[in-house]
Amino acid sequence: MNVLSATAITASALEAEKMRVDITSQNIANAHTTQGLDGKPYQRRVVAFESVLNEQMGQNMQGVRISEIKRDETPGEVLNNPEHPHADEEGNVQMPNVNIAYEMVDMVTASRSYEANLAVVRNARQMANQALAIGR
Amino acid sequence: MELVASLFASDSYTAVKKMMDVSAMRHGAIASNLANVSTPGYKRVDLSKTFEDQLKSQISARDTQAVASAVPRTETDSLSPATRADGNNVQIDRELLEMSKNTMNFDALTNFASGSLKQLKMAITGRPQ
Repeated sequence: MNVLSATAITASALEAEKMRVDITSQNIANAHTTQGLDGKPYQRRVVAFESVLNEQMGQNMQGVRISEIKRDETPGEVLNNPEHPHADEEGNVQMPNVNIAYEMVDMVTASRSYEANLAVVRNARQMANQALAIGR
Repeated sequence: MELVASLFASDSYTAVKKMMDVSAMRHGAIASNLANVSTPGYKRVDLSKTFEDQLKSQISARDTQAVASAVPRTETDSLSPATRADGNNVQIDRELLEMSKNTMNFDALTNFASGSLKQLKMAITGRPQ
């Protein structure tokens, strides 16, 4: 009986999905950051998932992890706003390439996946409890 | 002792034990699928179809030895079509449905195992509890 070791796989997914929400919140928080730590406008971060074989669980069982967090290099829009402190000589401000709609979709997807994985843990616990109650 | 040992080796009890193993493994496969719902290129895993058919025929043939020694295995399901551009063929609703089904299945199996143990207890003590 290895119902509870399936939770190692689920735990990896919960961690990865939570990280995705964290990155989304970072993107939304910096939707108007025209000067990041490097002096350039903020570039949205994109997470990439990859699966990890979990040998102790048996063949084909795969956990998940975040393989890399990349910067989206597409340029953001340029606004003409001469009053802005970060405007150049012509009064143009380079805005970050964050699209709130994209980020919201990503956030909802991540939280739905998180819920699905929580359901897996709930079911695993139920199964383990049932198994412990055999003969009672 | 022979008597008690043979009670635990009955064909239905052996089948239930093996099917609980199978159910636990299927749960692992579903966990893997749901964990990788956002992994590009991931192909869902499922219990091996040939294994399931084999076990089914062994159980109906009442081949207790073969049932007891069967080892459940999984296989990658690359036949289910990928509906997404990234090649991932996991459908979250299908997996959740499978999971509920599997948990209920497991529930039924544990009830059966409990029932046979309770019967045994009743036979020993001579009274229902």
